[in-house]
Amino acid sequence: MKNTQKFKSLVNKVLNRMSDFFKGFKEGNSVTKGSYFILGLGQLLRGQIFKGSVYLVTQIVFIYFMITSGVSNILGLRTLGTQMQERVWSEERGIFVVSKGDNSMLMLLFGVATIFIVIGFIITYVMSVHGSIQNEKLIISGKKPNNLKQDIQLYLNDKYHVTVLTLPVFLTFLFTIVPLVFMILIAFTNFDRNHQPPGNLFTWVGFENFSAVLWNDPLKSKTFVDLLIWTLVWAVLATVLNYIFGMILALMINKKGIKIKKFWRTIFVITIAVPQFVSLLLMSQLLADLGTLNVILREFGFIETFLPFLSDPNWAKATVIIVNLWVGVPYTMLITSGILMNIPTDLYESAKIDGANAWVQFWKITLPYMLFVTGPYLITQFIGNINNFNVIYLLTRGGPLSLEYFQAGKTDLLVTWLYKLTVNEQNYSFASTIGIFIFLISAFFSLIVFNKTAATQKEEDFQ
Amino acid sequence: MMKNMKSRERFSNGIIYAILSFLSFVWILPIVWLILVSFREEPGAYTAYIFPKSYTLNNYLLLFTDTKLFNYPRWFMNTLIVAIVTCAVSTIIVLLTSYALSRLRFKLRKPMMNVALVLGMFPGFMSMIAVYHILKAFSLTQSLFALVLVYSGGAALGYYISKGFFDTIPKSIDESAMLDGASKNTIFWKITLPLSKPIVVYTILTSFIAPWMDFIFVSVIMKDNYENYTVALGLFQMLSRENIYQYFTRFAAGAVLIAIPITLLFIYMQKYYISGITGGSVKG
Amino acid sequence: MKKLLLAMLMLLMTLSLVACQAEEPVEEVKDVTLKVWGAQEDQEMLTGMIEEFKAANPGTNWTIELGVVGEPDARTKYLEDPEAAADVFAFPNDQVMDLVNAGALYEVTINKDAIVAANIQSAVDSATVDGKLYGFPMTADNGYFMYYDKSVFTEEDVKSLDKMLEVAGAAGKSVFFDVSNGWYIASFFIGAGNKFEMVDGKQVLDFNNETGVKVGEAIKAFTANPAFLTGDDNVLKAGFGTTIAAGVSGTWNAGDISTILGANYGATKLPEYTLGGVATQLGSFAGFKLMGVNSLTMYPEEAFALAEFLTNEANQIKRFEVRKLGPANKNAASNEAVLADVALSALAQQAPFAMSQNSVAGTYWGPAEAFGLALENKDYTMSIQEMLDALVSQAAGE
Repeated sequence: MKNTQKFKSLVNKVLNRMSDFFKGFKEGNSVTKGSYFILGLGQLLRGQIFKGSVYLVTQIVFIYFMITSGVSNILGLRTLGTQMQERVWSEERGIFVVSKGDNSMLMLLFGVATIFIVIGFIITYVMSVHGSIQNEKLIISGKKPNNLKQDIQLYLNDKYHVTVLTLPVFLTFLFTIVPLVFMILIAFTNFDRNHQPPGNLFTWVGFENFSAVLWNDPLKSKTFVDLLIWTLVWAVLATVLNYIFGMILALMINKKGIKIKKFWRTIFVITIAVPQFVSLLLMSQLLADLGTLNVILREFGFIETFLPFLSDPNWAKATVIIVNLWVGVPYTMLITSGILMNIPTDLYESAKIDGANAWVQFWKITLPYMLFVTGPYLITQFIGNINNFNVIYLLTRGGPLSLEYFQAGKTDLLVTWLYKLTVNEQNYSFASTIGIFIFLISAFFSLIVFNKTAATQKEEDFQ
Repeated sequence: MMKNMKSRERFSNGIIYAILSFLSFVWILPIVWLILVSFREEPGAYTAYIFPKSYTLNNYLLLFTDTKLFNYPRWFMNTLIVAIVTCAVSTIIVLLTSYALSRLRFKLRKPMMNVALVLGMFPGFMSMIAVYHILKAFSLTQSLFALVLVYSGGAALGYYISKGFFDTIPKSIDESAMLDGASKNTIFWKITLPLSKPIVVYTILTSFIAPWMDFIFVSVIMKDNYENYTVALGLFQMLSRENIYQYFTRFAAGAVLIAIPITLLFIYMQKYYISGITGGSVKG
Repeated sequence: MKKLLLAMLMLLMTLSLVACQAEEPVEEVKDVTLKVWGAQEDQEMLTGMIEEFKAANPGTNWTIELGVVGEPDARTKYLEDPEAAADVFAFPNDQVMDLVNAGALYEVTINKDAIVAANIQSAVDSATVDGKLYGFPMTADNGYFMYYDKSVFTEEDVKSLDKMLEVAGAAGKSVFFDVSNGWYIASFFIGAGNKFEMVDGKQVLDFNNETGVKVGEAIKAFTANPAFLTGDDNVLKAGFGTTIAAGVSGTWNAGDISTILGANYGATKLPEYTLGGVATQLGSFAGFKLMGVNSLTMYPEEAFALAEFLTNEANQIKRFEVRKLGPANKNAASNEAVLADVALSALAQQAPFAMSQNSVAGTYWGPAEAFGLALENKDYTMSIQEMLDALVSQAAGE
């Protein structure tokens, strides 16, 4: 019930906005009406030269862009290319003259990018019109629209969020969101080894990939399920263990009475200062069957034959988790250190006066505080570990490979399996399809937890 | 009474020192091995022993003098520049974003946080190709500037740590400042930031480290522009089948050198790890 | 008036002189810009070759740029952005199918017959798809053979794998063979006569037939022998001469191994193994490196000329001298110095038993590695037949 009500109110909101839009046109004076067609008019003619010119320039650039490439980009989305690369034999030159075909991949990418540009323009348009209407209302009630100086003040204070978030949002769109939509859309095409540009075109196939994935054969299903279980186990252990150890380490270093705190911290930071692929490469050599560690253990007589750190499935799983501790604890130590230092000391002092010992202090003050602040961090770490390509791939390549799985090994995560499938078969559409499944599962789970955690609910209380 | 507590405290401190020493030893061991390898004279990527048979400084020297195949000095400078610029840009972006999401209230706040949380979850490898082509549309390919853009571009998505930290700064501080007539902008730079030193240090450190480590993005963006490689990609080339036997010791030397600026930066920033700052300011 | 006339006359004369000159057909010098990709170790050599090319073709205004893209990366770098890819680039023959499928390679039609005649047949075959030639053969040494320590083995010993295991075991040393690697383990199957086929884009293997099962048994026996050792190149080079007496590897390690073994450096074709009681020669994969022309190039004829030059007989010999790379050119391969090279002659001995990788799909490698790994780890939970069945069906992509 609540959800349908929410949905209805949302629809109502949208409808209201739209009718406001049209009302503005009907009721506005000529200047406002003009601003519906020429952006910035409502600002330029009312003394807001800077704002107005920005809007106007945006409009001109946009129209230019659409005419030169925008429109064709969007049209290209429909077919994803019709012109295949062709060769025509030329007798006089003795070669096949190659004429360029359409590049489906680029057409998809630029089509998506153009759609976002159009959306961006529509938002700018609405902002300009809205501003124009507001200006008119101000003038009617006898006040003047803001001049530039007042606007700057506004944007540094009440509207600070706009100033501060514009650049990050823009960059995020450019480098994260557009590629993401591009990748999602690939799942609906047949982009694979046999449809590789520039020599071939690929095209939309709708939900074909999804239905193919769902009618799995037993081997693929078993691989998917087993890897999913291991991925979840790995993510939980990696996140929790790293966090706990990091916190314990931070607590130890931070304790009153421990000297040379800086020294201890620096030692651990050195291990993250060396690039991950270097340290993981070293680890994979140290722990190899005939690797240094085994050799030393044998020389000292601790063991008879080598320990299969990386070649036995179960050993490998444990090794991977332990090595991940080595990699990740310095990070969690740094974060928890920073937060630990910010816990108001008076909390501890009043607790001591009340007679609480160290253990109680930890449980009732430190831990809840830490969990509150790092709640979202933990969730993201968990999801990040689900997709933690680096550690697994660099350490074991997902091995030891097993015939029980389809092209996978015993320490493979879903992501590394995906990577192997992509690289070996160049089956990008299949990879994107599986990626969407992983994405939906992760997103669904984390959004629920994120929004339900005490963190977001008690945000205001805490502050 | 006091004496008992004191000796108990000394005892527990003693245990902690022992544990810390042991852990530090374990942690630093692989790094020590790496350093040993970098001084090793015999070639080869894999040895059955730990201590080199003979020591040499050659690996380090050759890194800088023998630039025919591997132009390490140039790559080092490239990476240093990219790291410094990215560090500056990313830190400002992340901190401002976290501040906005933590303190300011505006309509799209909750949706934005949810979206940002979810954006990192898609395991796709095609995104790099998409980014490359987007950069190409702006004629930015194969340049260090492109690298800085890419590394900083995703920075805002890592807001959650700093935001969590900002959330713990009591609102009363902000409110008293606003009563004094400060704008949100002023509050951020003059009040919030100074109170958040540990987190600022963490952010600076991690965004400085990133360009030194990445060899995947660089490979896609730089393609065949050898001169503009960063150190990570360059070192990675030393691991190819043909090269690894001769160059592994030099690879180790190169890796050790990477760790130096990062460690130095951290040592310098350590002085900001002082506890109990907010505690004091609220009381006052 | 007179002055004006004089001026006009001067003007006319000057104009006619200029016109005359303009009418004289000046040789049109074409501006050609080409980009070449080569491995980083080849940069210096390639720069020299390119200069020679320019000198040998003075009628054009050349701008030839050289970029660093190693042969294994060629396909990936190309597909990321075909238009920005080089006009002429080097790649290994196992990328031919992918590149042809993607329409990346320009079909070679100029001087095709001359090229086919000048290079080794198997090299040409590896560059040919459906009867069309797509690349210029450059090197022919990406295969593998047996390196051995002469102080441990005699020339007779290295003819039989079993004998080698016996001798090595007696000396307390190992025979190195990276069985958990689809590239090397294929030698057993190829030698026995099993086939790699591509049908409808799917890999069809017959490894799980009767012969294949016998092969599996042979590999199982091999890996169970105490003198057997597995690992990678690093392990091989670290232990050669001390704990390792022989190992299967390729020419890229020749330099290092000859340094390690010194006077005891020996190399020969792969030995025979015992298949169901019968001595059978181990097969292998043959690998070649080719130069290809980008199908999107703006100057096809010039690109072909450059590619042909970079892979002609003289330059293949130069490649051998500078980088010890075995030539694909027939004359270059029969060059004295080439024949004297220990590694290359071992490769040549193995060549009759080597097959091209053109019918090997990307889906083969994973299952093959898993199969080899199971035998190396002595993990006999599945029977040989079961393992081979799994291998075959997974390689087919099921």
